[in-house]
Amino acid sequence: MKVNNFSPIKVSRIKRSWVEGVTLAELWERRLFWLKVLLFVFFGLIWLRVFYLQVVKHPYYANKAKARSIAGYMIKAPRGEILTADGVVVATNRAIFQLYIDLENLSDEESILKKLSLLLPEDYGKLKEHFYLAKRSSFGRILLKRNLTWDQVARIMVRQYYLPGVSVEVEAERFYPYGEAYFHLLGYVAKINREEFEALRGKNYSPEDLIGKKGLERLYESHLKGQNGRIEMERDAKGRLGRVVGRVDPLAGEDLIITVRHDLQMKAYELLKEKRGAIVALSPESGAILALVSMPAVDPNKFIIGFEEGEWEKIAQDPRKPLLNRALQAYPPGSTYKLITALAGLKAGIVKGLHWSVACSGYYPFGNHVFRCWEKRGHGPVSLIKAIAVSCDVYFYTIGSRLDIDLLAEVSRAFGLGRLTGLGFPEEKPGLVPDKAWKKKRYGTNWNQGETVVISIGQGYILTTPLQMARAYMVLANGGFLYKPYIVSEVRKKDGTLVFRNTPQAEGKVEIDPQYLEWLRAGLREAVDVGTGKASRVPGILVWGKTGTAQVVALHRKTRHLEHHAWFVSYAGNSTPQIVSAVLIEHGGGGGAVAAPLAGELYRAFYKLPPQFLPKPVEDGELPTDLPGGLTNGNQAEN
Amino acid sequence: METKLKIRHFLRENLLAVLAFLSLVGINILNQLGMGETNIYFWKNFIWNLLGLGLFLAILFKFDYRRVSLELLWLLYGGMLLLLIVLALFKKRWLIIGPLSFQPSEFLKVILVYLLSLFVAKNMEPKLSVREALFLLIVISLPVGFLLPVDLDYAGIIFLMFFMFLLFLGFPRRLFIGLALLGIILSVILLPLAWNKLKPHQKGRIYGYIDPEKYPKTWGYQINQSLIAIGSGGLLGQGLQKGWSTRLNYLPAKNTDLAFAVWAEAFGLIGSTLFLFIYGYLLYWGIEISKKAKDLLGKFLSLGIVIVLLFQFLFNIGGAIGLLPMTSIPQPFLSYGGSITISSYLMLSLLFNVAFRKDFFK
Repeated sequence: MKVNNFSPIKVSRIKRSWVEGVTLAELWERRLFWLKVLLFVFFGLIWLRVFYLQVVKHPYYANKAKARSIAGYMIKAPRGEILTADGVVVATNRAIFQLYIDLENLSDEESILKKLSLLLPEDYGKLKEHFYLAKRSSFGRILLKRNLTWDQVARIMVRQYYLPGVSVEVEAERFYPYGEAYFHLLGYVAKINREEFEALRGKNYSPEDLIGKKGLERLYESHLKGQNGRIEMERDAKGRLGRVVGRVDPLAGEDLIITVRHDLQMKAYELLKEKRGAIVALSPESGAILALVSMPAVDPNKFIIGFEEGEWEKIAQDPRKPLLNRALQAYPPGSTYKLITALAGLKAGIVKGLHWSVACSGYYPFGNHVFRCWEKRGHGPVSLIKAIAVSCDVYFYTIGSRLDIDLLAEVSRAFGLGRLTGLGFPEEKPGLVPDKAWKKKRYGTNWNQGETVVISIGQGYILTTPLQMARAYMVLANGGFLYKPYIVSEVRKKDGTLVFRNTPQAEGKVEIDPQYLEWLRAGLREAVDVGTGKASRVPGILVWGKTGTAQVVALHRKTRHLEHHAWFVSYAGNSTPQIVSAVLIEHGGGGGAVAAPLAGELYRAFYKLPPQFLPKPVEDGELPTDLPGGLTNGNQAEN
Repeated sequence: METKLKIRHFLRENLLAVLAFLSLVGINILNQLGMGETNIYFWKNFIWNLLGLGLFLAILFKFDYRRVSLELLWLLYGGMLLLLIVLALFKKRWLIIGPLSFQPSEFLKVILVYLLSLFVAKNMEPKLSVREALFLLIVISLPVGFLLPVDLDYAGIIFLMFFMFLLFLGFPRRLFIGLALLGIILSVILLPLAWNKLKPHQKGRIYGYIDPEKYPKTWGYQINQSLIAIGSGGLLGQGLQKGWSTRLNYLPAKNTDLAFAVWAEAFGLIGSTLFLFIYGYLLYWGIEISKKAKDLLGKFLSLGIVIVLLFQFLFNIGGAIGLLPMTSIPQPFLSYGGSITISSYLMLSLLFNVAFRKDFFK
């Protein structure tokens, strides 16, 4: 076959006028050449641009694609539980359904809220108001409704496709089965705020997390918290979630085992109900806290489920201050301090033996002032043991009038007063042990011996916390060991492996002459047997204790008795003391009448004896001592 | 016997082009498969491709491009014009016939290319006179004018591509300069007026083109999603049906306008380079055919087809990668659509027909 391949169109066939010596094919080829150039330029440009997008800018766009297509959510780690020494779970988690709204995926707020209000069902206006309030305050997803019922969950889940941005999640929510009773001890958890979140950046906190705000929850936050997990899901253009592409399981927080005995704690709570005060019980053998209750308190569950309208304002402005942990606040110790005065007197040689006595005629003149004994008729001649038993003020005034304040301060400090106990709670107050140097610094004046006289009965500048007083008496109970108080005995992982165990730590040994110790203990026994602390007697159990009635401010006479703090610090045991306690009732009245019976009840509970009906407080106990004018009281100095 | 030999000869000479064409068919089917779980588009596209392939073979072997008469083309042109007038009156882009929708602008291109080539080839002159040029401009402008109210972008692009075609056909230089000057002056005067007349979505496209990242949710949404899809494809791509943008429906109009983004996301730079190369080679080969064709009609026809395909490519892919403003132009052999598929096959079959018939020349 002959193929007629290149037969150019003859120039002769076209008009010569507009083609000069060039064939049409050549002309056409010239044009096609420019088209080829154009083709190369266009394709080259486009290829370069594609190269730029897919290679140079690839990381940028890949990140953008990922951020847009993958929705990552925290899976909250269940918080560690808190168990008491006798195995009662006092802080736990319960599974509940939460309704979240993710603003990132939310296309049309109004219509979604409207749909939800029909599904739940709930008032649309209320729901909207809640949504906008929460939107302003939260910075993660919005928790629209907590603790959904099964029915509500089902209704929402089946319509999830039509509710982009809405998710229902099962979460472990903190729950305190015993509410108020453990409020001051355990503290509470609440939603993390922005400042805390910023401060904890990089520590795997999510903006939706709860964080310990008080008590053990705050102190052991790092153990209780656990590690949040993360789930990554594909999210399509309409905000609907699809396949799970990545998952890191959460790691549950570690459990705390605390030294508190649940029955004792509940007993203390029961005893303090309707009162204002604190009970602290310690083990004299280790410093372990057996019970710590302060009243009034708040139900910690309320911080999670939310307060009713106006409730929070009421709590915050309550003059009874339910948020205050009274076990760690400083108060004038009153007569409970006399033991320390007595020991200082013995050390200083002022008290010359057991039979050194002072004649109490109901008052004690010193300088320009007359200091009164609480017993206006006077106690007659009192020796050391009787002085402690009947809490004779004149006896201690006599010691105080000769005692060097610095020695008294030194003995006080040896008993752990005037400084933090090392429990670790941030709200703990160090109290105040005054001495010459302190006065100079605080007021710029020299020490006045009259002030030592006042301090010797636990009034004046001296301030102690109930925990400090319990700890000081622990020294008497165990013969001189000043243990650091602690609450958490063990921290364990969920699988049972031990993270750490607290061992008793003695801060030091207080050197007390065994004979002096014998005498002081005898005085404490006498006080319970026949003296001011009779109400704390428990049959079959030995109780050593000292009452105290601390005058706060000299107010109107009619209401005066309401203004006294009632103290009772004591310890109990069969042969060796096994429990030390400090009871403080704020503005309760006389220590013997108000505080001592509570300690008795507490010891009955400790030894599992049947409780006795609490006798009605009778005004036969110690009354506070009227301070002579011109001497300020500790509380005023502190305020 | 004769024909069989000729086919063998044709294949020997144009094997690469045939392979490129077949690869494009494969790419088209594959790309629609990659769109995701909704199979309806895949199967529709598959059927259109089969129909197109049948048409292609029929035209390639049983048809001679020289046999079409000018009268028939005028008739077709008139019919198309009527159709466009009807559509312009109803402000619609498609004519819907039962389950099928018919997009006249796709076929308009084929008819215009043929018409212009035939008209100019008949004169046997490599340069147009001013009268002819003006006449042809009107022939182009008439359907474009009717297309304008319903499909502004396409109308503009069709005008541009055919004006380009006219330039290659020998548009008088003086007339061109005059028209260009007039156009510049008119646009300076009319542009502010026209800008105010633009619909919000048309203005938005311009905004989105100028700064896509500024309007990620509104005007820049399409271009942004397209850039993310293409960029996240990387060198090797995310794999067929695996791309996030495609699978999770972030890409709007992924079946049609942004089909290239789907392809680029799935197969990365390697895939996009492959497509550019094959498409580019086919256009290059088309220019070679125009050079080798033995008659003017063949030369003009293949050149016109190359120009149409080049503009189509330029505005679709240029829009998808952000070089040009986003327009709603489908990409031959990537996008889904009955009209675009059939018209693409029609154009390629004419191109191949020119190449095939070259040897039958008497």
